[in-house]
Amino acid sequence: MTAIAHNENRVVRLFFYSSITWLLIGMTIGLILAIKYVWPNFLVWGEFLQKYLSYGRIRPAHTHVVLFGWLSMAYAGGLFYIIPQLTRKSLEHPRLAHAIGILWNIYIVAAIVTLSMGYTTTIEYAESTWPLDVYLIVLVAGAAYICFKTIAKRNESQLYVSLWYFMGSLIWLPFLYIIGNIVTYFITGIPQALAGWFYGHNVIGLWFTTVGVGFIYYLLPLLSKNPLYSHKLSLIGFWTIATFYVWNGPHHLQNGPIPAWLMKAGVIPSVLLIIPVWTVLANVFGTMKGKWHMISENVPLKFVVTGAIFYLITCLQGPFQSLMQPSAILKFTNWIIGHAHMPLFGAFSFVLFALFYHALPSLTGRKIYSDTLMNWHFWLSIIGFLIFAFTTWTAGVMQGFAWTEGKQYGVPFLEVVVSLQPFAIARAIGGTLMFIGQIVFAYNVRRSIKDGQLLSVEEKSTSTA
Amino acid sequence: MSGQSKERFMRPFIIGASLLFFIGVAATVVLPFYDEVMQRENANAKIKNYAIDSPEYRGRQVYIREGCHVCHTQFVRPVKADSSLGPVSVPEDYRHDYPHLLGSVRTGSDLTWVGTRWNEQWHRVHLKNPRQVFPGSTMPSYSYLSDQDTEDLIAYLMSLKPAPSTEGR
Repeated sequence: MTAIAHNENRVVRLFFYSSITWLLIGMTIGLILAIKYVWPNFLVWGEFLQKYLSYGRIRPAHTHVVLFGWLSMAYAGGLFYIIPQLTRKSLEHPRLAHAIGILWNIYIVAAIVTLSMGYTTTIEYAESTWPLDVYLIVLVAGAAYICFKTIAKRNESQLYVSLWYFMGSLIWLPFLYIIGNIVTYFITGIPQALAGWFYGHNVIGLWFTTVGVGFIYYLLPLLSKNPLYSHKLSLIGFWTIATFYVWNGPHHLQNGPIPAWLMKAGVIPSVLLIIPVWTVLANVFGTMKGKWHMISENVPLKFVVTGAIFYLITCLQGPFQSLMQPSAILKFTNWIIGHAHMPLFGAFSFVLFALFYHALPSLTGRKIYSDTLMNWHFWLSIIGFLIFAFTTWTAGVMQGFAWTEGKQYGVPFLEVVVSLQPFAIARAIGGTLMFIGQIVFAYNVRRSIKDGQLLSVEEKSTSTA
Repeated sequence: MSGQSKERFMRPFIIGASLLFFIGVAATVVLPFYDEVMQRENANAKIKNYAIDSPEYRGRQVYIREGCHVCHTQFVRPVKADSSLGPVSVPEDYRHDYPHLLGSVRTGSDLTWVGTRWNEQWHRVHLKNPRQVFPGSTMPSYSYLSDQDTEDLIAYLMSLKPAPSTEGR
């Protein structure tokens, strides 16, 4: 394939480098939250910090920065990078795409500032206020337009699997976002909660998951140098995720104040989600056949496969905890925090790390600065995340059962909080390791841009193939 | 690989993906909206339908601004883990809640009916310094709130009591 056009390269780099910055900022806020969880007076130095870094105010800032600054900007960059490769067509409107990147960064800054000032809609993952929502919708619609136009003008008649996932996601995201951020503005009570959770769940399922799976399908054959195992499986996977995922919102109010028919309508498709995740994993394992040894020397491949496995665990855990009985114990506990981090960090951030390491050489013309640091990034991320995840899961089960014994408010509730402090400390330690891993990542990327070994002419022509 | 020759058109994907999406929207967002339990109000909903200039209304805005809903839920389920929290929540309770404050995690305890648990003076001490009444509590101190905000917030919290007609539900 041809080298990437200059303008397109500039756009992808803008999105990639911005997203790494937001990754570090978002995780810094996350770490502050984890420390406040153990030591509530952390950073309560003077009224200004106490107020503007108050737990309830910066928690939505953490989710916003990692979801929309890190993951979504990296995703948009990934789409702008991969779509031209798969269509053999240079990106349409690269200038517009560049402008969207700059405006997107302004959105994140504005969201952090307004959230920490206390302007919030309270709808989870949609906390930013409506003027900002409208602003982001315009940007997302613009990015979707650019992608669709590029695909429509493609020079490759075949639509590769990844492109189906990208097209689906780019249709779903704007509508999802409108339902979660704009429709909720006009309704009250439980219907508002349902619209909110429709969005809250599906932004994971029909944006972060589906674009991420498209990345897996793009990266895996390239990195393992094996053709995709089964075309049919990927077809089944795409249509089943499109059918079942949309129905999942109500399980967030499981056992809550919603009619019974709605709980069933939410849970049955949640369980059926095992089908699409299994098709992806069967495809991953099938494609890896005979190539597993490559994982030991190829860090990006290691990231993709690990990400895919975390995606599997997420989608086995999710259906389980959506059932009425497990939900009665696990809902509202720390378990959920572990679960929520798994698709977003364990699965799809890992896929993104692989994409970055794979794409950077063709964007900068330089190799990745250090393989050792890539490995450090991998191991710190995964060990940190496993500590984080297992402590939240264990603490969640303990919390849930303690509540069933009647420790639901006042001093008995407090006893549970105090007894779970060791877990909260372990969680902060896990988070610290995850964060250090990302510093290593950012440093390695920075050094690669400046001091990475230049690609030879031959490598240049194959690096994007 | 003969099946691959079919994927040459964008339209089936665009139409299929949109259609499946809007079926899900209709079932889980639109239909529930028109379910009659969602459109009815009960005595609790009336209590929580605060007048815009009331201290309770202003207190609710403080609750939202400070992100109390980030750590405290406001719904009671018919399950063992919620057995001593008070009357079980029904959709009618929330008819006028805007925005809803159901919450998703209990870092702190559920506050659906917190008005039945403590008095104003207790809240005054607890909000300023949670660890004075609950040693080991991880709740932030809200000593930076103005007196007005604090009193409004307490008025709101104290209003969260079940209407007599819904007791024992």
